[in-house]
Amino acid sequence: MEAMRESIILGSVLVYLLMCIGVGLWAMRRTKSAGDFFVAGRGLGPIIISMAVFSSTLSGFGFVGGPGLVYATGMTSIWMAVCSALGYATGFYLISKRIRMIAEVRDTMSLPDVVFARYGSETARLLTAGTILLGVLGYLATQILAMALVLQTLFAGTDVFADISLFSCVVISTLVLVFYCVTGGIIASVYTDLVQGIVMIISGALVVITAANVFDGGLAEVSTILLAQGGEDIMPFGTLGTMAALTWFFLFGLGLAGQPHLVTKMMMNRRISDNRIILPITILGYVVAALLWISVGIVMRALVLGDVAMPLTAADQAAPAFLTSYAHPLLAGVVFAGLFAAIMSTADSFLNIGAAAIIHDIPKALRGRSLDNELFWARIATVVLAAIAASFALYSFYENGELVALLGAFGWGTFAAALVPVVMIGLNWKGATPRAAIAAISASLLINFTVQLLQIKVPYGISAGFLAMLTSMILFIGISLLERERKLPRDIDRIMEL
Amino acid sequence: MKPIYFVFLWLLVTAGITGFILMSDAPPGAAGLPHESIPLVNVGGDGAARLETIGRAPFYFQISTIFLGVSLLYMGVADHRRDTRFRLLIAGGTAFALFVWYKLYTGYEAYLATGETDIVFGFPVPTAWMLGGVWGSFVIFDLIFVIFFRDYFWPKEDEAAFEALVAEMKAKNSAGSA
Repeated sequence: MEAMRESIILGSVLVYLLMCIGVGLWAMRRTKSAGDFFVAGRGLGPIIISMAVFSSTLSGFGFVGGPGLVYATGMTSIWMAVCSALGYATGFYLISKRIRMIAEVRDTMSLPDVVFARYGSETARLLTAGTILLGVLGYLATQILAMALVLQTLFAGTDVFADISLFSCVVISTLVLVFYCVTGGIIASVYTDLVQGIVMIISGALVVITAANVFDGGLAEVSTILLAQGGEDIMPFGTLGTMAALTWFFLFGLGLAGQPHLVTKMMMNRRISDNRIILPITILGYVVAALLWISVGIVMRALVLGDVAMPLTAADQAAPAFLTSYAHPLLAGVVFAGLFAAIMSTADSFLNIGAAAIIHDIPKALRGRSLDNELFWARIATVVLAAIAASFALYSFYENGELVALLGAFGWGTFAAALVPVVMIGLNWKGATPRAAIAAISASLLINFTVQLLQIKVPYGISAGFLAMLTSMILFIGISLLERERKLPRDIDRIMEL
Repeated sequence: MKPIYFVFLWLLVTAGITGFILMSDAPPGAAGLPHESIPLVNVGGDGAARLETIGRAPFYFQISTIFLGVSLLYMGVADHRRDTRFRLLIAGGTAFALFVWYKLYTGYEAYLATGETDIVFGFPVPTAWMLGGVWGSFVIFDLIFVIFFRDYFWPKEDEAAFEALVAEMKAKNSAGSA
């Protein structure tokens, strides 16, 4: 029975990986220019965009790190998920329309292009591209490592591949990822996102039903067990307390609109009017998929604190341990495929914007034009970026875990702190100035880097990313208010009137 | 007053509250404690003791965040499109978000004072407010976007104006290349 269970799980994952390769081959025929490679020729429909946006938001964190955090600290991290309605609202109210208009009028291919169009500053473009590149390396390395570790766990249950090394798993994971990203670019990425999104929704819905039935009394019994064990974990702020929870709400809610891998997708839709359909599907998909994050985490915590299950050896084992012990093998197979989907949907988005930063944005900022034959170099940059990230992942695992942690800090928090004021506010306020944009991005990088390098622990569990974001927003508006309003290019001025 | 001033105001209020919290002495276990016997598991300890030095600062912090979020959303609609109905919709959404937050926080305070709480939809009452209420209160703004899309976010006139701009830019570019 156990062997059959392992075969079903591994089979589901392999079918999924083969599907990704197939999509890559199919998308290759549709990718004829750098515009197709980076922004899918701005011709995608609303369902594709919705799934791409929500599946890229959730990432492997929602399926592995999230349940692990709930297992370790109770409800605190759920504030990162309940803020999604506010996060998507800010993204669609403040960015979706304007970024799409600028993309069409200026033929932009990346977020740094949009920043340049708005501010007319090559320094702002360079800083935006640099921030994206730093964040991409950190995110990619952690995603590749997570994917390899899960693959190794799955192979360990088989007779033939029981002793497979992590190196081999990193190579397999990276090759699949690189293959469909290089061949099909963003078109392959968003179409795999469609499948990935559907798998994640099914996983979330089925797992919450399974989790609710682990105890006879359902989730109410889970709550009763946890309340009897102290109770702070199942109360709204979790064990990390009020300020950790609320600063995460701020950072993840208001910071969603600064995530380059998400807002770039808002440039790709066929019609601006599609945003009316994209927003509700995105939110619905996210919420259903995030149910796994909440339900698995608290059920595993109740099982361990209630002496029903053995303590976990790593918090991130919460979801795999739950699936192995309590889920039907077929469901476990779907969810493991969903886990790969979650990781890969984020990783492919990052590969895409990272490649754009290397071959399009940074050369443009430094020498006034991007590379010749962009499509060719985009594919080369994708391979190089993935190879560097895979090397970082292996180095961090075997030699120095701090490297990826450091780069990982340049993830959500840095993007939010650096780009929310510049993009979200800057596209809606004509008074924003280039100097303010440069100061805001620089300050956010400085604060995040300093906190991480000096390993500063902020009291009350207050998020360092929140402090960076608050500072950069105040600096951005403050400096802009002190400066004289600059005349905008006519097209941008007219776009900002709409 | 321009909405950017409201955004700036709420950012400064948030910074002020954060500064006050950072300057207060954090009690032991302010951000949780390790479990006595189970590795990797964190416990909350005495919830009331953790808030002793900062009082209701978290309550006001979130009110400021709600106002900041709403001010930003308000900026997302062009100045000349913001009519009385839009202002009422935004005000109604804000009032509901504040109400949910009040119910959540006072419910939590009552639990800290008595150690007792009811369970609704599988969760303690304040947690149920968090899971359904906080998320739901902001969904109202998403619904405003969907329902009033053609009134405030992408009216037909704006669509026509944008198409005219695109045509103008194309003509300019082709004239430039010719």
